Amino acid sequence: MKKDTFKRNTLPALAMAGPVSLWMILFVTLPMLYIIYISFMSRGVFGDVVYEFSLESYETLLDSTYFKVIVKSLRAAFLTTVLCIFIGYPFAYYIAKKPKEVASKLIMLIMIPFWTNSLMRLNSWLLLFQTSGPVNNFLQSAGFIDAPMSFVYTDGLVMLGMITNMLPFAVLPMYSSIEKLSKSFLEASADLGATRRTTFFNITLPLTFPGIFSSIILVFIPSLGIYTVTDMLGGGKVLYIGNIIKNQFGAIRNWPLGAALSVLLIVITGLLIFIYTRFAKIEDMEVV
Amino acid sequence: MKKLISMLLSLVLVMGLFTGCGTDTSSVESGNAEPSTELNIYMWQQYISDDLIAEFEEENNAKVNLSYMSDNADAITKLTAGGGQEYDLIMTCDAYMESLVEGEYIEKINFENIPNASNINESYWTAKEYCVPYLMNYIYVVYNKDTSPVEIKSYNDLINPALKGQIATIDGARNLFPIALVALGYDPNSTNENEIAEAYEWLVKYNENVVAYGNAEQNLTNGTASVAFTYDGNASWAMAELGEKNNLVIADFEEDSVQLGFDLYVIPKGAKHVDLAEKFLNYITDPQVMAENLVEYPYSCPNDAAVEAASDAYKNDPARDFDYKENVFFQKDVGEAITIYNDYYQKLKVGE
Repeated sequence: MKKDTFKRNTLPALAMAGPVSLWMILFVTLPMLYIIYISFMSRGVFGDVVYEFSLESYETLLDSTYFKVIVKSLRAAFLTTVLCIFIGYPFAYYIAKKPKEVASKLIMLIMIPFWTNSLMRLNSWLLLFQTSGPVNNFLQSAGFIDAPMSFVYTDGLVMLGMITNMLPFAVLPMYSSIEKLSKSFLEASADLGATRRTTFFNITLPLTFPGIFSSIILVFIPSLGIYTVTDMLGGGKVLYIGNIIKNQFGAIRNWPLGAALSVLLIVITGLLIFIYTRFAKIEDMEVV
Repeated sequence: MKKLISMLLSLVLVMGLFTGCGTDTSSVESGNAEPSTELNIYMWQQYISDDLIAEFEEENNAKVNLSYMSDNADAITKLTAGGGQEYDLIMTCDAYMESLVEGEYIEKINFENIPNASNINESYWTAKEYCVPYLMNYIYVVYNKDTSPVEIKSYNDLINPALKGQIATIDGARNLFPIALVALGYDPNSTNENEIAEAYEWLVKYNENVVAYGNAEQNLTNGTASVAFTYDGNASWAMAELGEKNNLVIADFEEDSVQLGFDLYVIPKGAKHVDLAEKFLNYITDPQVMAENLVEYPYSCPNDAAVEAASDAYKNDPARDFDYKENVFFQKDVGEAITIYNDYYQKLKVGE
């Protein structure tokens, strides 16, 4: 009898969930545990990890310089997210209201830039905006400015790079939730005399909130850790937490501190996901 | 029963994915007698001619796998973590040789198999038995004589507030701190914390004037920067790119010394294809081969015979036309003080 349930239940489950679980344990859980582990170790003189318990890395984290970078990164990630949502939502709405064939073409347009390597795309921003680049040339010949403006290696260009990199991750989840929104809700609202504005704020927006929240998660978390955009468009002068972590594991070789910073990122991410699951549940209940 | 069998078979199939990574090491030892057919090199990107690599592959009927580092620290990590398992040649620089030899991370090189090594100038050998110098770099200051608001004659001119947002510079603690130390009149390889702290204060002012770290040649040619602290090879590119319109000049230093660094090949401990590595080292030190390489990568070269054989364009390169070539300093191992440098460097990069 027992053998039978094993054959019927456990074995198929193991065959299907086993590989994924094994993969996650090997390549997600174990490295993460290792990161947490070395964040409590000390650093050696030549950049090696000395396996002696120490809270030094976490004490360094409280150092005002690192604190400033963390605040700055959170602010930048927040701004990126807000802008992506505000640009992405109307766009997603517009696509969702188009006939299926047109919509799929529009979605395609978002995806096409992703066929090129992201470093390529970042470099092209640099070429466009550099001192003798097309943007400056145009502004000069059109008489808007007298001397070339310095766009490159500024916070503004970094923000532009972040938004263009992240926008698709904002648009796609919002598109799918707007698209799923049943027309009958809107018709009912119109029948009951609501204006389009009222309908949008009372029906459309709340019902598509899970999509908006997925977008927030999908944009906020990567923009918190990203370092290529700041490296390339910020010219190595604009540093976010991702750059600091990269430096600790690379040039500076203070792995415990890099690990502690990563743990901090994991905690922030975990917190966000926790909030998300709470929100999503409430929303789901309201919808049903 | 059939179901069970198919289930098991699919499990086996999936598990196969994970076992594929295991390698058999038995063939490695016996490979010594026969010539190797594979050479794994870890080095800087954009630093060796692809055509020459292809030629070497053809001559020796071998495959060369190039992997690239993004930082000197990467190479050190590879070397200290048993790099011989993966690579046969690793590029590093003169500053690390002392501790690499001491830590026994690299193999002694049998120079009987590399007769061409005698082409390299005697005075440029660091740790003679353990490395083969490849190319070298002066790290100096170039500026645009038309747009730079300051005529630069010393490192201290670089912190002139008139240069705000004008300098494109190379990065890294051990490249930036020495110029500050020299500017302040200290030893560029100082291990004294007070001196390093003072150098940090100097670099804070320097950082104010920096527009970008890295990409010096691009930023000079497109007008983003009017001054660059960079390698002579990169300056050479920028000057060549501007061609007739070249208005870049090398800062005419009167007293301050400039840094000279070597990139060199070492054989990591336990390398598997030493025979082919030696052939490669002999190949790349051949005057004709190196001269060809210099056409594509016009850096300074410690190989006298190759410089002799190089094109006129290389010999007359304006990027190497400066008269304080003897007034140089080298990066030395600073031992435990490296952590002091790194902490101040981190502070420099995040502090605003």
